Amino acid sequence: METLMTSLGLNLVQGLLLLVFAPLVAGIINKTKAFLQKRKGASIFQEYFDICKWWKKATVLTPYTSVIFVLAPVVYFMTSLFAATMVPGFLTGQFSVGDAFVFVYILALGRFFMTLSSMDAATSFGGMGGSREVYISVLVEPAIMLAILINSIRYHSTTLSSMVIDYDGAYFTISAVLACIAFFLVMLAENSRLPVDNPDTHLELTMIHEGMTLEYSGKLLSLIHLGSFLKIIVFLTMFGALYVPINIPLAVKILLGAIIIGIVETLNNKMRLFKVRVYLGAALVLLLLAIIAE
Amino acid sequence: MMTTIMPEAILMAAEKYSANGAHPLTAMFGRDETASGVGYVIYCYFEFPETKTMDGFKVVFNPNGSLEYDSITHIVPAAAWYEREIKDMFGLVPKGHPDLRPLVLHESFPEDFYPLRKNVQVNAKVRGDRKFKVRTAKGEGLFEVPVGPIHAGIIEPGHFRFSQAGEAMLQLDAKLFFTHRGIEKAVEGKSPYEALPIVERICGACSIANTWSFCQAVEKICGISVPRRAEIIRTLLMELERIANHVGDLGNIPAGVGFNPAISLGGRLKEKVMRLCEEVAGNRFLRGMIIPGGVAMDVDEALSERIHEVVDDVADGVEDLSIMFAEQENFQNRVQTTGIIRSQTAIDLAMVGVGARASGYAHDSRSDFDYGVYSELNFKPYTKTMGDVAARLLVRIGELSASFEMVDALLDMLSVCGETELSVELNYTEGADWGISESARGSNFHYVALDKDGRIDRLFVRSASYPNWPALTVAVQGDIIPDFPLINKSFELCYACIDR
Repeated sequence: METLMTSLGLNLVQGLLLLVFAPLVAGIINKTKAFLQKRKGASIFQEYFDICKWWKKATVLTPYTSVIFVLAPVVYFMTSLFAATMVPGFLTGQFSVGDAFVFVYILALGRFFMTLSSMDAATSFGGMGGSREVYISVLVEPAIMLAILINSIRYHSTTLSSMVIDYDGAYFTISAVLACIAFFLVMLAENSRLPVDNPDTHLELTMIHEGMTLEYSGKLLSLIHLGSFLKIIVFLTMFGALYVPINIPLAVKILLGAIIIGIVETLNNKMRLFKVRVYLGAALVLLLLAIIAE
Repeated sequence: MMTTIMPEAILMAAEKYSANGAHPLTAMFGRDETASGVGYVIYCYFEFPETKTMDGFKVVFNPNGSLEYDSITHIVPAAAWYEREIKDMFGLVPKGHPDLRPLVLHESFPEDFYPLRKNVQVNAKVRGDRKFKVRTAKGEGLFEVPVGPIHAGIIEPGHFRFSQAGEAMLQLDAKLFFTHRGIEKAVEGKSPYEALPIVERICGACSIANTWSFCQAVEKICGISVPRRAEIIRTLLMELERIANHVGDLGNIPAGVGFNPAISLGGRLKEKVMRLCEEVAGNRFLRGMIIPGGVAMDVDEALSERIHEVVDDVADGVEDLSIMFAEQENFQNRVQTTGIIRSQTAIDLAMVGVGARASGYAHDSRSDFDYGVYSELNFKPYTKTMGDVAARLLVRIGELSASFEMVDALLDMLSVCGETELSVELNYTEGADWGISESARGSNFHYVALDKDGRIDRLFVRSASYPNWPALTVAVQGDIIPDFPLINKSFELCYACIDR
């Protein structure tokens, strides 16, 4: 019983740790992009300032929204935080709440609430963003499931933490390389990054994630952004811990992952909306090949 | 010379002059000549590229008689907006026009208020409640997406109503002219010199095109020709303005698809050109350079050297940018086959500028008319045939390299031009004439009428965006709504130019 409590405690510590560093990772991605465009760019701590700024601002609510509208950002943030506590990463606890299926569907719950809220204010941009988000997540979900399944087969378990324990750092197989590439592609789609979505667009008509958050302001907006940043670092942690078959410290992997996202976002432009299925289809095929190779 | 006809003969005249679109309709506008006993008049100008001139007809209406005429939109589709504007401004009603909603004067104006009639004071205060119904498609599963007039970016106001079937755009209706400034009314009674600063500020990006067309018209009325050195400098300024605009667009179009390195490079290059403009004219928009009779300031040896240097630098940057575009497969995938305008559509709507030339319609004032020193530069319009966003991008790149060469040639011409005279004195006389110049967005037409005191009786401005705006609603059909920003940016249409 004591070990379970310690494990849960450690999980919580990991979640908070990721929460603290999440805006920094987003800042590093933005700095990388600015550097590659020969711009000076904002400070890597800018996202902390932004979060604080939104937190201090008043929240404007339209009278036409329901309770879902207020609830959704909280759920989105909490699910991201929950995912952060259970993602296989810095901890190697014996007991864990981290089941792979729980992980995937916790994130799905957050997305479900965001999609609901996007329709709540009944604006056309929100609705468009919501419908596109669902279109993409329908394609992303099986890919993530497959990606996790590879590890389940490898370690004979769906417990995330056990995957980490067995992970020996020198696992360099064809299957691992394929899974690494595929998971990276899926990670970009899931986190609304280029080439699937444009995180810094102001063009209402092309928005996906930003379209859904268009009606938010103040504390609620702050929560959504923090949730999004958290999601990026959670995925980078998982990417580093399970899918990068090189033996270097996890923190370094996360940093490198953020820089690579910055580079990929600079090299790419947003693809046609209906080509996203080809993109994610490719990721899916790679994952299937990885499973066969396994 | 303009033929004068009665309202009954307008259809025949339109058919004769347009010759199935061979002679594009340049402008159609009204004028109140009741003071001289003539009545209300509609002027129709058609281009005759083969003789490098304009011709057309004017329709005279007795102010006490019927103010209706047969709409020529069915024969000359390009007339659709002009007829609506004339109805708003003068109350002359085109019978059988397919869309008689107001164009310029929105809900806040009363009915039966025709601001360009002479009996309306320039400072008249009015408030009204007109009806303006935005056009939408109805059907099961269809929905509307209203965008604007306030946009997310720092741009001017315009309302777009998309009728959607899922992501596909079925129909787009654009409600524009939100910030109508009444410039044409405001300059009435001013001397050309007084009106110049106003004309110069019609649009931020086309000050040279607007002043040049305006001054051409005034100079023609006064029957003078501009000193050669001034003509060379005017042409040089026009090409600098084009370079600034085109380079800016090359950085703006990729913003529609989030292609970040190209956005940054384009922005950087545009800044270089604008700083050069500041060195040339003392301001970033080349204002104050062109005056009736010539130019205000010389471009000396040191400045020529500087222009040469910067333009070479920018040319290298554009080269990099075009390679960047060509090699980015994902970008090509977005721009190719997106937002297609077929060449017949371009001809029907009498489109101008990059939009026309990307659809294989070689419509360019620099070759269609004789002005500046373009004839000595052996200028040829640069065209592409696909009519999509990619074609409009390529036309801009092609025109840029032509402009770079022309700037070099113009600087050479300037150094061997012995003349030092920059402008001539003007004696304003009564009369009316037109001027045209090719701005970065297309041909820019001004009609100026001076009264016997040399004061402006009527100014009509048809900027390049005017005939191209209606094309946007055609181009988007068959594309999906996330592609709209890209298509819109590829036309680079100006709100201020039509909100005159």
